Amino acid sequence: MASSSDLENPNASSALPYSYTPLPDGEQTAEPAVVLHPKKAVAFLVCAFLSVGFLVALIGNNGPLAPKNLNTNVAPSTVATTAKTTPLSRGVDKGVSEKAFRPLLGADNSFPWSSNMLDWQRTGFHFQPEKNWMNDPNGPVFYKGWYHLFYQYHPDAPVWGKIVWGHAVSKDLINWRHLPIAMETDQWYDEQGVWTGSATILPDGQLVVLYTGSTNESVQVQNLAYPADPNDPLLINWVKYPGNPVLVPPPGIDDKDFRDPTTAWKTPEGKWRITIGSKINKTGISLVYDTEDFKTFELLDGVLHAVPGTGMWECVDFYPISKQTENGLDTSVDGPGVKHIVKASMDDDRHDYYAIGTYDAYKGKWTPDNPTLDVGIGLRYDYGIYYASKTFYDQNKNRRVLWSWIKETDTEASDISKGWASLMGVPRTILLDKKTKSNIIQWPVEEITALRTDATVFKNLVLEAGALVPLNLPAASQLDIVAEFELDEATVQRLNGADVAYDCAQSGGAATRGALGPFGLSVLAHDGLVEHTPVYFYVAKGVDGNLKTFFCADQSRSSTATDVDKSIYGNIVPVLKGEKLSMRILVDHSIVESFAQEGRTCITSRVYPTKAIYNNARLFLFNNATAATVTASINVWQMKSADI
Amino acid sequence: MYERNQISSLIKHFFTMKVHLLLFLSLHLLQTPFIAMGDRRLIETTCKATPSYNLCMSTLLTNPKSSNGDISDLGLIMVGATKAKATRAIQQIKSIYKSRPELRHALNECAQMYVAVVRADVPSAIQALDGGQPKFAEDGMADTAVEAQACERSFSDRGQKSPLTKMNKDIENVANVARAIIRMLL
Repeated sequence: MASSSDLENPNASSALPYSYTPLPDGEQTAEPAVVLHPKKAVAFLVCAFLSVGFLVALIGNNGPLAPKNLNTNVAPSTVATTAKTTPLSRGVDKGVSEKAFRPLLGADNSFPWSSNMLDWQRTGFHFQPEKNWMNDPNGPVFYKGWYHLFYQYHPDAPVWGKIVWGHAVSKDLINWRHLPIAMETDQWYDEQGVWTGSATILPDGQLVVLYTGSTNESVQVQNLAYPADPNDPLLINWVKYPGNPVLVPPPGIDDKDFRDPTTAWKTPEGKWRITIGSKINKTGISLVYDTEDFKTFELLDGVLHAVPGTGMWECVDFYPISKQTENGLDTSVDGPGVKHIVKASMDDDRHDYYAIGTYDAYKGKWTPDNPTLDVGIGLRYDYGIYYASKTFYDQNKNRRVLWSWIKETDTEASDISKGWASLMGVPRTILLDKKTKSNIIQWPVEEITALRTDATVFKNLVLEAGALVPLNLPAASQLDIVAEFELDEATVQRLNGADVAYDCAQSGGAATRGALGPFGLSVLAHDGLVEHTPVYFYVAKGVDGNLKTFFCADQSRSSTATDVDKSIYGNIVPVLKGEKLSMRILVDHSIVESFAQEGRTCITSRVYPTKAIYNNARLFLFNNATAATVTASINVWQMKSADI
Repeated sequence: MYERNQISSLIKHFFTMKVHLLLFLSLHLLQTPFIAMGDRRLIETTCKATPSYNLCMSTLLTNPKSSNGDISDLGLIMVGATKAKATRAIQQIKSIYKSRPELRHALNECAQMYVAVVRADVPSAIQALDGGQPKFAEDGMADTAVEAQACERSFSDRGQKSPLTKMNKDIENVANVARAIIRMLL
């Protein structure tokens, strides 16, 4: 076993355990043999040709634009035409077009981001459009046998801009078929953007959508849309209600603080009710409207809920959750066996916060169970990158499913090279935690397990304090990992409690050792640990003798590149007496989704390694505690790529 | 020797101060007729909440649009200043590219980064400010600061001395000021 200093000094590769036999093809495949494929050879020649051309052109003091250097389908004829055109300036400041991103100075491999590295970042089983920018999930719904996902989409560039509704359908939430853009910016009331909205299924099976439009004058209004042909299960064509907008900002609400209507639910009087996030000064609020036809609305007195100091509430979500059953509930369900969740996306800190509480349908008000854990100041869906999420009730499988936008944390220049930006998290089911009753449980939808293949099982591995163990796997870029850990009880008992204030983000990451942690798995790890992303537990024994468990993901050594975010994420995770510590990690190239204690605390990370990629990505198990021995059992599956 | 140095530096200092003073006075005189007290106060309070008061003030006061603008307009002016600086950076990179072939890899990267700033971050930020989604404008300016740092590192990572240090720092600073102003709109 290597010492834990490997984690502290990841460059000390000589200290790697020798019990570990490197994969036979490990190093060879790291540097692919220098054999140019015919296509690449052509590209190479073209590049060489271009370089000469650029030098000549530069001497002429007029750097022309060139096609992307490693674009393999560049043909000489294209080069000739491109050299003539100089679409450098569109003459407008606003709006981004795809054409704008051709390299300025000509062919050159950008260090450290080779196209090989950037290609690797594309995921295998996370939803994303074929190219360009995506943000919030919109109007998720199960309709006539198909799961529909609409999304905020900028079709012209991998950066936010004039937004339309992208659209895709699936039979299983995993494999997707891309469909034409569902709604464009073709009306005065959504000229600046077809922004976020939600779908509601009416009792007769009809579907309606309410969405925010940014008008020609950039006023945020709510609009109604519905399928052109309700019998088309793919819902390809959409009609915008001619009487739009159906809602404009009410008095006292700023024109630009009125967006993201929810799915509607039934009131006791049989009307429909929606809520829309806003703010008054720095107080985040959720306005409530009743309607019978989705065309005329009545603003209720007061708000569903307000929390001072939280700023603008975006993408508010409101839904019931069962206190007893393991089913999800339709949004209109209410009664004694039900709690209600309010979730809002905080514009100020770009995180999704939720709280559990009680809904008074007669007053249109919601009260948190625990005011110290109110919306925006308490629990988060996810302690990593996770924003603008939205749930829907899946009547097909009686569950509530959560979608979320996962942004990039690399540079815009890299996104332009990649040609895409953003992912959707693997959809999660949401249930109330029946044991703690104070948090929800999020878990990847069961369908994702259909992608599992090639299981590797590690049973009862004993990790001494300071141990680091490579897990021999065929590959490590697409994994589903389920791991259980047990701390050595005798050590835990023997230790004196201390007044520990642990905080994942502030406590130095996986390299900082304590008596009872950190221990866990390091994903997307390079052999010499020059790059690796540890996901781990840290247990702290308080002066009262009670244990506190933290769940963290440490990006600080995830990449040797210096232009990517390397934050450390995490939070406390409730662990009840007698429970083992457990984690599940979905690794899918540049995204790592981690779940502790069956989904009580979740962390989504974006990582951009430059070395721990393709065949050089490994999985390590580690125990960086100074006192306790940890016993670990791990199941690892390779994940097939989904059809996306 | 020491004293003479001190004196010469004092003299130098005096001249710079004089230039500053002149600049300040001329700015002041030029702008005063257009800027009502209320607007001036908005600009001052806004700039006080940014990481660089002087940079913020000088950038805003030299733009006549600041005289009757709200915070969103001030943010737009700052984004515009970021664009102007990044555009100049691209021109500078092009001209250095000719004379310093040994720096071409780093210069190429910097060009890519500043093209991303001018073609993506800036237009996206302007659209976001106009449209009332300031968080995307903040993202654009945050990225601009990162690109400027990354450009600087393109040289140091190769053991080369950056010919763009001052410019990169300027862009980083102006982007950070823009970002701070935009955050007031969230």
